[in-house]
Amino acid sequence: MTIVAAFLVPGSPLPRLKPDNIPWGRIAAGCQRAGRALAAARPDVILMYSSQWFAVLDELWQTRPRLAGVHVDENWYEYGDLPYDIKVDTELAHACVAATRRIGVASRGVNYDGFPLDSGSIVASHFLNPEGALPLVMAANNLYHSAETTERLGRMAAEVAHEQGRRVAIVGVGGLSGSIFREEIDIRSDRIASHEDDRWNRRILDLVERADVAALRTELPQFAKEARADMGFKHFYWILGALQGKFYGARTHAYGPVYGSGAAVVEFTI
Amino acid sequence: MAQGRILAGFLAPHPPHLVYGENPPQNEARSEGGWEPLRWAYERARKSLDELKPDVLLVHSPHWITQLGHHFLGVRTLRGKSVDPIFPNLFRYNFELSVDVELAEACCAEAREAGLVTRMMRNPNFRVDYGTIVTLHMIRPQWDIPIVGISANNTPYYLNTKEGLHEMDVLGKATRRAIERTGRRAVLLASNTLSHWHFHEEPAVPEDMSKEHPQNYEGYKWDMRMIELMRRGQTREVFRLLPQFIDEAFAEVKSGAFTWMFSAMGYPEIPGELHGYGTVIGTGNAVMEWNLVKAGLAEAEQVLGAAALSQSAFPAPSRG
Repeated sequence: MTIVAAFLVPGSPLPRLKPDNIPWGRIAAGCQRAGRALAAARPDVILMYSSQWFAVLDELWQTRPRLAGVHVDENWYEYGDLPYDIKVDTELAHACVAATRRIGVASRGVNYDGFPLDSGSIVASHFLNPEGALPLVMAANNLYHSAETTERLGRMAAEVAHEQGRRVAIVGVGGLSGSIFREEIDIRSDRIASHEDDRWNRRILDLVERADVAALRTELPQFAKEARADMGFKHFYWILGALQGKFYGARTHAYGPVYGSGAAVVEFTI
Repeated sequence: MAQGRILAGFLAPHPPHLVYGENPPQNEARSEGGWEPLRWAYERARKSLDELKPDVLLVHSPHWITQLGHHFLGVRTLRGKSVDPIFPNLFRYNFELSVDVELAEACCAEAREAGLVTRMMRNPNFRVDYGTIVTLHMIRPQWDIPIVGISANNTPYYLNTKEGLHEMDVLGKATRRAIERTGRRAVLLASNTLSHWHFHEEPAVPEDMSKEHPQNYEGYKWDMRMIELMRRGQTREVFRLLPQFIDEAFAEVKSGAFTWMFSAMGYPEIPGELHGYGTVIGTGNAVMEWNLVKAGLAEAEQVLGAAALSQSAFPAPSRG
């Protein structure tokens, strides 16, 4: 398997849109460090799964060669626009669409002008691939897929990339605890919404850093439930699947709040 | 300025398949038709709307999901191409719409005054959600009436159904006050499907109606039960059952538009006119109208306004 790097990054647009707000600027700085680490690993392609790209029928994969435009987040439009210009490894993306039959999942490619990219994919691409030099393979979060199915998708995508001789960076885009503040706050003093959420986030990050996959598999369902983990933390299972369930440690480049929810930038040791 | 009033409310679901089946010039995708009974239902609704001659259409859509409060479109003209993220093969629609910003601001202010978190969306590059666009196209394809677009705050999903629908009740009353204060003759559009169980695979030919039927018999029975109550004007019973309907039929009315609309209208106990029912990829969709003008309530509500505003299907949940 030719995986040269793996990262977990948050999908919230706030660190991208307003890095001058210190709590969010720390997350942005962590993302930039992750971007430098990714570049140093010299991958041919980034395999990215975003918790914010929803699918409900088939599993969706971007197959448009170039995605360029301006996106406005549906919640945080007041902080500005999210321009993007992303190249897609269409050969690998089509191969992933074909290969999902191996694991009993129906897939289709998406190749439409004006297709609405999600904020998470755009923000992660900005931080991890700032010059847009690397092509991406982008996979959606099918809302009906379980963590196990998502793990199988990640594994399959990495295997297909290996078959095609690609050097791969794996990226899971999504948050940790999912509770946000539901009223206006002073963003300068943003914090994790509750002590319990913070404790859960730190517990999970500690297990990730120690590469205790067995404990993670035991505790993640409870984390997902009690901390309202973003989309059941399926973005982590994407990474885990691609790494064939094994890594040797991790470095947390940043951890903090984005309007109360938990965000972390994690680089896996593989 | 005369006091504004609500002329009617429509249950106006937003499957993009209906636009696809109609083949309007704005949509890039072409079809051989499909979903005719629902599209004919919308034809009847269009005719009725035309006779009402409203100043403004207010639409509450479940596909503009906001986490922090209730948001209102606040840019005078919005245009672009709307591509459905789930059905991009069917819906790639070029739109241009005019927003009644003054009314939107009044709704926003009234809702804030009532204790809700509210925001005005002022970014001119904002992508209007496909739910809003499909509902507006299906009810008024001429696009010649200004609109107010309202987001679906995710409270019903994030907290619980009753708490969420209580917020929609408050939002509806605030909307009514804003309409009255600004002198508008308004029509409300609840962009909601009923039962929402759907198939997970699309037919090779999406408009092949030999493949279209209710995905779930229990969902279908729930739809018929609720529609029959609505046809009889048993509004109180509809709202008594609404949380159970939502749970057992996975009904999209959970997102709040239906409650918002009825709250704004004062929960009138008048028969709804069913323009038509049909399924779309298995989900249950009804096009229905509550015409307050025909019922003699559009004028009466100016007298009965205070009483209407005191009605509430979902009282504030007690805390602690």
